[in-house]
Amino acid sequence: MSTGMSTVRAGRRWIAADLRARKGQAVLTVLLVAGIVAALIAAVTLLEDGTNPWRSLFAQTNGAHVWLYTKDRPPDEVGAIDGVTSVAGPYRSAPVTVALGGKKEPAGLRALPSQAPQVARPVVTEGRWLDASQLDGAVVERSFATALRLRPGSSFTVIALSGERHTLYVRGIADSADQGFYPEWTPGLAWVLPPMLDRIEPMLGRSEWVTGLRLSDQEAAQIVSQRVVVMLEDQLQRVYTWREVRAAMELDNRLLGTLLALFGVVGMVAAALALANAAGGRVLGQLRDLATLKSMGFTGGQVTLLLLAEHGALALLGIALGAVTGWAGTVAVLGTTSVAPMPVLAIVGGTALVVLAAVGLPAWRGGRTPPIPDVPAAPPRGHLSRLARLALLVRLPPALVLGTRDAFTRRLPAFLTAFGLAVPMMMITIGLGVWSTLDNFLSHPEQVGQHASLYVRPGKLDSAQAARIAARDPGVRAVYPGTDVNALAPGEARSVRVRALGSTTTPYPFPVVEGRMFARPGEALAGQGLLDLLGVRIGDRVRLTVGGSPLIVRIVGRAVEPDLDGEVLSVGLDSLAAKDAVPPEYYALALRPGADPGEVRARLLAASGESLDVQRVVNPADRLSVIRVVIVALIVVLALIGLANLLTASALGLRDHAFDLAVLKAMGLTPRQVMATLVTGTGLLVVVGVAVGAAAGVSMVTGLIDLQGHTSGVGAGIGRTPSALTMTLAVLVAVGASLAVALIPARRAARAQVPVTSR
Amino acid sequence: MSAVLKAVNLVKIYSGGALPVPAVRGVDLEVEEGEFVAVMGPSGSGKSTLVHMLGGLDTRTSGEIWLDGKRVDTLSESAWALLRREKVGFVFQFFNLVANMTVADNVELPALLAGISPKEARERRESLLAALNLGDRADAAPAQLSGGEQQRVALARALANKPSVLLADEPTGNLDSRNTRDVLRLLGEVHKQGQTIVMVTHDARVASLADRLVSLFDGQIVDDGRITRRRTGTAGEVIDLR
Repeated sequence: MSTGMSTVRAGRRWIAADLRARKGQAVLTVLLVAGIVAALIAAVTLLEDGTNPWRSLFAQTNGAHVWLYTKDRPPDEVGAIDGVTSVAGPYRSAPVTVALGGKKEPAGLRALPSQAPQVARPVVTEGRWLDASQLDGAVVERSFATALRLRPGSSFTVIALSGERHTLYVRGIADSADQGFYPEWTPGLAWVLPPMLDRIEPMLGRSEWVTGLRLSDQEAAQIVSQRVVVMLEDQLQRVYTWREVRAAMELDNRLLGTLLALFGVVGMVAAALALANAAGGRVLGQLRDLATLKSMGFTGGQVTLLLLAEHGALALLGIALGAVTGWAGTVAVLGTTSVAPMPVLAIVGGTALVVLAAVGLPAWRGGRTPPIPDVPAAPPRGHLSRLARLALLVRLPPALVLGTRDAFTRRLPAFLTAFGLAVPMMMITIGLGVWSTLDNFLSHPEQVGQHASLYVRPGKLDSAQAARIAARDPGVRAVYPGTDVNALAPGEARSVRVRALGSTTTPYPFPVVEGRMFARPGEALAGQGLLDLLGVRIGDRVRLTVGGSPLIVRIVGRAVEPDLDGEVLSVGLDSLAAKDAVPPEYYALALRPGADPGEVRARLLAASGESLDVQRVVNPADRLSVIRVVIVALIVVLALIGLANLLTASALGLRDHAFDLAVLKAMGLTPRQVMATLVTGTGLLVVVGVAVGAAAGVSMVTGLIDLQGHTSGVGAGIGRTPSALTMTLAVLVAVGASLAVALIPARRAARAQVPVTSR
Repeated sequence: MSAVLKAVNLVKIYSGGALPVPAVRGVDLEVEEGEFVAVMGPSGSGKSTLVHMLGGLDTRTSGEIWLDGKRVDTLSESAWALLRREKVGFVFQFFNLVANMTVADNVELPALLAGISPKEARERRESLLAALNLGDRADAAPAQLSGGEQQRVALARALANKPSVLLADEPTGNLDSRNTRDVLRLLGEVHKQGQTIVMVTHDARVASLADRLVSLFDGQIVDDGRITRRRTGTAGEVIDLR
């Protein structure tokens, strides 16, 4: 006989009986954990999709890994290169200009058959695919269609290189992973049928051939593209791989990662709280049974294991269920195989660890129960607490005095009540802090390094002309000339970015959060990532090499730096050698308050005869609207968890209290006074819990976001606490809701007939 | 006959509060195999503490405890738990059935813990419950049973592994007279079959069922004597002496 086996048998019997006795509660626990995990997975996937849309587009369109552009139709041998599994095209493609409402945009018109191909298949999201019966139909890539405000059914004019104009009708709008989004990636992309392309551009010499190669291993893309270069030599116009497409689609902003990680933490704490509450309440409610088990021969460790197995199994079941539903849900919404496996694994693993730890504490507490059953709950100390004496001194009604006494005489329920509310309140405050940080991105983009909202490159004009046109526009407040160069750092294999923007006399308003702004040539600001990379501090001198000539600067301050992992050195243009600084590569335009960047951009394009290259800055918060939905959902879940904690704690408190209540009634308190006593007792703890939670949240939120910022290279200084008004409202709502919930058990207890001799 | 259970100069001092409170102050006790010992005394005399220490539910402050010829007071809490599985059965005043489990599960649990196969545990439970007249209540929840029935189930549970000693702490303290009579009759029957029993009570009529009466006062044994069978007067006299 082995004691292990026998304990397992007996333990299984007990767990089965316990679960049977509380089916509803067990199901609720599983569903709550499943809900949190599913929400986290959905949020992560949606955010991931927003910041890195390439993966899901590539999966949906069965995309090609390597794209090559050739003068003539490429030989079939490109399809026979090692590692190529299938070929898209070759398709004939002609450069055209799309003229629409006074605007002219460059486009590549690509000839595809009416039967959409298997590889690199455009996925129609609106309208239909091309049809041979409608020759003047076109399908437009989605980002291009959005930029041109094209809808299915609308028409647009294309101008061929010959100057000939043709009108096309939008049959459909489609997603594609063939190239990046317009306008970051130009020209835009539209598909027509081959006969139509022949009509628009009859000259074969003015068009090119586009071929996509799908590989068995995406890592082989670099090698395959080199083989293509060698094979086609001067036939080849250009070649690019999926990496370039992905990089073009990616929103290069570490702030997203920062917020995402913070959100994961909030969600996991919520799951842990849900379980700690369920398991903790259950364990405290059955201490007597646990003592009996020990008197029968379960050791303390075995009781702990038993509880861990029971509650842990519920948690793991919830996590599995949540992972499956979250995964299935996002697959159903976003299309197949678009779920990133790493974040999902991190969520599942992380939640499992966190909830097991959360179950561990009550399980350990249960295992430590003394084996003597029937130890009556220790009666509360008879003396009044200081707070209660104070209440008596100021002549409060007796119910309030008794309630004040109750609040703190029973330590464990008091702690459970206050703590059970404080933690969700803290997490809600952090959620609100993330919300206000997002708001701050939108209302004060200059504080995250986005003072300029447009970047102008001279394009076909010369630099001075471009600066004049930009400065003339009524919406432009300031024009800062700038140049980005790569510099080699001593002892580093890779280069870092040096951003020369503005001058030391009229500096670009970098968001300096430490140290000071540069004031002389030879002074510089650094992002956190750069400080970490070079191992330097503010005040240190660094020596870099820019195109062979040395650049020696003293770092005088740190700026919030959302680009390139914060590995950016910002200097004035006059700190660079003239050969690098003149003429400026681009101009950063700060607009007047209220000026719409879109309108300014259109005016600049019109004023320059479409010669300028004007780009809008993407505000990270614009792509983050989904996070607000997640914040609201999480706040609702956290609020429910807090109220559930409160119910559990007051139920436990009341169970120990039943005898006292009978005595109070015997002493002549009316049911209403009994109720007031109970609500006062709970209410004080509620106020303490909510206040502590809100204070902890407020003090933690900037620190947490800044810590995240620091590790991601952005640097501290982006976190914002919720406004005083928001916090006041949140605290009032939390206290009000808690009191309303506390009223339920209090009413029941006040009305119940409790015999004076409870035993 | 050899001593199944032996306590040598057993002391328990509660030192949780401001002043240490001695509960048991040097108790020497030997229980022979097959003996039925009643421990009597007023509230606070230390009789419950004594029986809890004898079963390892509470730790001693000093002294020795011997069970089946082996010294056990030095065992850890876990070792005590494992020992209890086979050698000690407990019956408490408030029955202490596991509320979530059926009557059948409550009785089978100790047998399963002792490493007996589920099939044999079921057979044992069936015969025990039948002997205690509870055969038809096997699937009931403890809460559906009367106090007397619950205590009989608790007794069946305590006896499931034929323990070396049955420790009963006020087994009739929460029962009416008819149920008290039933439970006592059962205790008498298992005693006749050779079961060693140590029972704590403050009820003289209950104590009169035992072979031997140990009186405890302020944590010390003040009287220890055999009860002469069929002469209840002796027990009465002992009580009068208090």
